[in-house]
Amino acid sequence: MAVAAIALGGCGKPPARPPAIRFLHTFGPQETELFNTTMAERGIAVESLLVPFARGQQTINEILHARNDCPDLIRIDATWLAGLVASGLVVEPPAALAALDWTPEAAALAQLRGVWWSLPQSVDGLLVIRDLATPAPASPSLPDLLAAARAARATTGPYPLSVRIDGYWFVPWLRDEGGELSAPDGIAGAEAVRAMTKLAALFGDLVPPPPSPGSEDPEEMRRWEAREVAYWITGPWQFAELRDRDRVAVSGLAHAPRGGQLLVVPRCAKHPADGWRLAGELTSLPVQARFAGTFASVPTRRAALEDAPALSRAAETALRSTAMLPREPVTPMLFDDLNPALAAVVAGDATAEEAVAGVRRGWQRLIQPTAAPTAPPAQPMPQPGAP
Amino acid sequence: MTGAMTGDRTPVTASLRWRVLLALSLAALVPTVIVGALAIMRAHNDVEREVDRGALAHIRALGAVLDNTLQDARRTVELAAASWADAPNDVRETQLLLKRLRRDVPIVHALAILDPAGALRFGDPVPANLDVGSHSFGGYIGDAEYAGGRPVVHLVVQARGRTGELMGVFVASLDLGFVRVQLADARLGHGARVIVVDGAGVLVASRDEQHATRDEAWTHGPVSLAGTDPAVDRALASSVEGTLSSNGWVSAYRNLSSYQSRRGVRWAILHQQPERFAYALARETTRDTLIIGGAALAIALVLGWFIATRLTRPLTALARHADAIASGSTDDPPPVHGPGEIGVLGQRIDEMARRIAERAALQSALARGDRLASVGVMSAQVAHEINNPLTTVLGYAKLLQEGKPEGHPDRDALGLIASEAERMKTIVSGLLEYARVPRKAERITPASGVRVVAHCDPAAVLRHVGALLEPQLRRTKTMLSIDVTATAPLAIEAHALQQVLVNLAQNAAQAMAAANIEGGALALIARPAPGGIATLITVTDEGPGVPAADRARVFDPFFTTKAAGAGTGLGLAVCKHLVTTAGGSIEVGDGPGGRGAEFRVVIPNAA
Repeated sequence: MAVAAIALGGCGKPPARPPAIRFLHTFGPQETELFNTTMAERGIAVESLLVPFARGQQTINEILHARNDCPDLIRIDATWLAGLVASGLVVEPPAALAALDWTPEAAALAQLRGVWWSLPQSVDGLLVIRDLATPAPASPSLPDLLAAARAARATTGPYPLSVRIDGYWFVPWLRDEGGELSAPDGIAGAEAVRAMTKLAALFGDLVPPPPSPGSEDPEEMRRWEAREVAYWITGPWQFAELRDRDRVAVSGLAHAPRGGQLLVVPRCAKHPADGWRLAGELTSLPVQARFAGTFASVPTRRAALEDAPALSRAAETALRSTAMLPREPVTPMLFDDLNPALAAVVAGDATAEEAVAGVRRGWQRLIQPTAAPTAPPAQPMPQPGAP
Repeated sequence: MTGAMTGDRTPVTASLRWRVLLALSLAALVPTVIVGALAIMRAHNDVEREVDRGALAHIRALGAVLDNTLQDARRTVELAAASWADAPNDVRETQLLLKRLRRDVPIVHALAILDPAGALRFGDPVPANLDVGSHSFGGYIGDAEYAGGRPVVHLVVQARGRTGELMGVFVASLDLGFVRVQLADARLGHGARVIVVDGAGVLVASRDEQHATRDEAWTHGPVSLAGTDPAVDRALASSVEGTLSSNGWVSAYRNLSSYQSRRGVRWAILHQQPERFAYALARETTRDTLIIGGAALAIALVLGWFIATRLTRPLTALARHADAIASGSTDDPPPVHGPGEIGVLGQRIDEMARRIAERAALQSALARGDRLASVGVMSAQVAHEINNPLTTVLGYAKLLQEGKPEGHPDRDALGLIASEAERMKTIVSGLLEYARVPRKAERITPASGVRVVAHCDPAAVLRHVGALLEPQLRRTKTMLSIDVTATAPLAIEAHALQQVLVNLAQNAAQAMAAANIEGGALALIARPAPGGIATLITVTDEGPGVPAADRARVFDPFFTTKAAGAGTGLGLAVCKHLVTTAGGSIEVGDGPGGRGAEFRVVIPNAA
C-alpha cells in the first residue's frame, strides 16, 4: 500500500518548474506591463520586483548589502553603476554578451573605465524636440537653441522654450560655462554661478514660469500639446506620452547629459547565469524592437536600431552630441542639493552665489562624510498636551 | 385511379407543410439563437466590465483614502520642516513645532529631527542607519516595518533653507493601524472582501462581508499570500491597477503608491469576490434570456404550424381540385380562396377548369352534331323520297274530297287523310330544314382563296327579331325587352342567328301562354362574354322553365314538352345545330332568381 502510494506519488508529481528569475527593476507602469506580457509570451518565468525610481538606488544598495534577498538581475539607472562597482556589488557580464553589436554610446554606458559591468538596456539623455514645421536650431549649441527660441516667439507666444528646474537640465548650462557635475571642483568656480544665473534668467523670459512642484510632467505635456512651446528640452522617456509622434522632430543639445538604463547581475545573486540569460532576453532584438515600437525608446543594439521607429533613430542621432555624466559613485547624489538650490534661485529666494555656496557645502558633506556629529545633544520630543 | 392519385399527392402537401414549418422555424430559431447569444455575450461582457469597474472604483477610492492619509501627513511634515529650516537653532520654536505636528498628525508614533549628517538633534530616537534622504528628491516614505506586530513606516523629510541648503531631516514614525480602520468602514457586495497586503504579500488588513478588522488585535503572523493567490502575485508585480479571474474569484488590484515594503515593493489593495456572486446578474440574464428565447421559439413554432396550415390549405384544395380535373369528375368543386398569389392561382385553376369543361362540352356537342348531321342527311334523303308520294297522296285526297258532296260519308275520311298528309309534310319540311347544311361562318372564296368570316351585328339582329315577334307577342301580352351592350360583330350568318333567336323567343312566349301567364317578361340580352372572344346572348322568360331532368335532352331532335301535335320537336335541335355550326354553344338553365328559363347562347366574335 505504502509502496503503491509512493509510486503513485512519484509518478503523479509534475515535472519541476524552473525557478523564476528574480528581477528587480525600475520600469515605469507601462513598461512594467509590457515587460510582464513579453516575458509571459516568451515563456520565461520571472519574479519581478518593482522599485520606485526615486528610492531605487538606496533600496538596491540596502538589498545588496544585506545579501539575504538578492535578485538575479537588476535594472538600474546608468549613474548608479559607479557606486555599485565601487562597492563590489555587481559582476561582469559574460564576454559573449559584451561582444554583441552594441551601439558605441550604449557600449560606453555599460562600461566603467573600459571594463564591462552591465548590459545596456536603453540609452537616453537630454535632447530637444520640436514640431516638424518648427525650424531646427542652427547647431546643437545652447546659444543657437536660445536664438531659435527667441525667433519662435512670434508663432508660439512669449515662452517658446521648455526647461525643467532640475539639476539634470542644469548640466548643459554648467558645461557651457566650462563647469561639470562633479564634486567638489565642478561647482567650485564662478562657472556654476554664471550658469545658474543664466538659466534662472530664462524663466519668465524664454521659459514659462515654473509650475507648482509635482506638476512638472503634466504641465510640460499640456504646453506641448497646446503648442505653447516651440522647443522642449526633454528625453526619449517622454516619447511614450506623446500623442502624435509623427509630428515630432528631434535635435541634439551640446553638453547635455547622456544616460540610460543598465542591466546588472549582483554578486550575491543565487542564479547569476539566469540573470544574464534574462538580460540577454531583454536586450534581444525582438524585445528591443518591441520596446522601441511601443515607447520609441532608443535601442542599444545596432540591428535593433536599424529597425526602430524613425523617432528612436532620430533620438539616437541627437544623443551623439551629448556627453555622459562623470562616472563617480557620488554623481547621482549631487542632485539632492542642486535641485532645491536651482529652485531657490529661479523663485528669487536666493542669489546664485548663495545657492551655489549651499550646494558646495552639501557636496562637501557627500564626499567627506563627517566623522562625528557636531550637532547639539538631542532634545526629547514634546508630547501633545505637554506644556 | 383518383384515390391513388390523391394518395400519392397528399404526402406532397404534408411535406410542403413541414417545409413551410421548417422554414418558419428556422426563420424564428436563427435570429432567436443569434440575438439570444449576442444578448448573453453582451450581458456577460457588460457585467464583467461593470464588476471590474465597480471593484476598481472601490479600491481606487479606498486606496486614495489610504494614500492621502500618508500624503497628508507627509505634506504636513514638509510644511513643518520648511518652517523649521528658517530657524533651525531656535530650540523653543522647534519644541512648539514638534508639539503642533504631533497634534496635527494623529498617526505619528514618534518624531525626530536629525542634522544634515544624520545625528539626532530633537525628539525620539530613530533606527540606526536610517537613510536621511540622499537621492530621494527631498524625502521619502520609507518601507513599512512591523514594530510590536503593528505596521509602522518612517517618513523622512529634508528640511532645506531659503537657499535650498539642507539644514536638517525630519523623521516621523507613522502607525499604519489606521488602514484597518479605514477598511472596516468599507461596504461590500455579497461574498466580497477587500484586503491590503504589504510588499511581501503579507495580509495587513482585510474586510469581508461579515468580518471587519477594525478592533481586532494584530494577531496575523507574517504569512504571505504571495505564491498562493495569483491576484496578489499580479498586484505585487504590477505598478498599475488591473483585474484578474482565477480560482473562482474575481479580483481587482491596485498599488498603494505611498506604501512600500523593505524591498521597495509597493503595497496593494485588492477587492475579491467569488465569481458566483460577482457574475450572478450575468447568470440571471442568461437564464432569463434562455427562458424568454425558448418561450418565443415555442410560440413561433405554434404560430408557424398555424401559418403553415393556413398557407397550405388552399394548396391542398388546389391539389384536390386538380385531381378532380385530372380524373374528369363532373362534380363542380368549390372555388379555392386564398391569400395573394395562392388566391390568384385558385382563380386561374377555376377558370381553367371551367374552360376545359366548356371545351369538353363543346367537343361533345360537336360530336353529337356530327352524328345528327349524318342523321339529318339520311333524313333529308328519306324526306325527299317521302315528300313526292305525300304530295300525290295529299292532292288526290283533296280531289276526292272536293268530288264528294256535302254529307257524303267518305268526305270526313278524305279530309282526315288530307290533314294527316299536311301534318306529315310539315314534319318532312322540318326534317329538311334540320338537315339543311347552314353556311359556315367561315369559308374560303373560290375565286381568291381568301379566308372570309361571316359578320353579323348582334344589335341589328336583335332589333329585327323584336320587330318580327312584335305582333305575336302583342297577342300573348308578352313584355319584350332588348338590351345590347355587345358591339363586336359575330361570326355567324345573320339569318341563322335570327332563326335561333326567333325560335327561342317563340318557345318562351308559347310557354308563358301555355302557363296562362299574361304580361310575362321576355328579355333578349347580348353582352360580351368573359374573355372578350365571344358574345353571350340570353333569352329569358318568366314561364314554368325547363325541368332539370329535361335539360340534357331538350336539344335532341323530336324531343318536345308541348302537347301532341303542337310541335315537331325539331326547333331547339335546329337552334343548336345552327349555333354549334357557327362554333358557339347553347345551354339552358333557370331564369333569374330561379324563375322561368334562360337560354344562353355563346357565339364567337368575328376576328
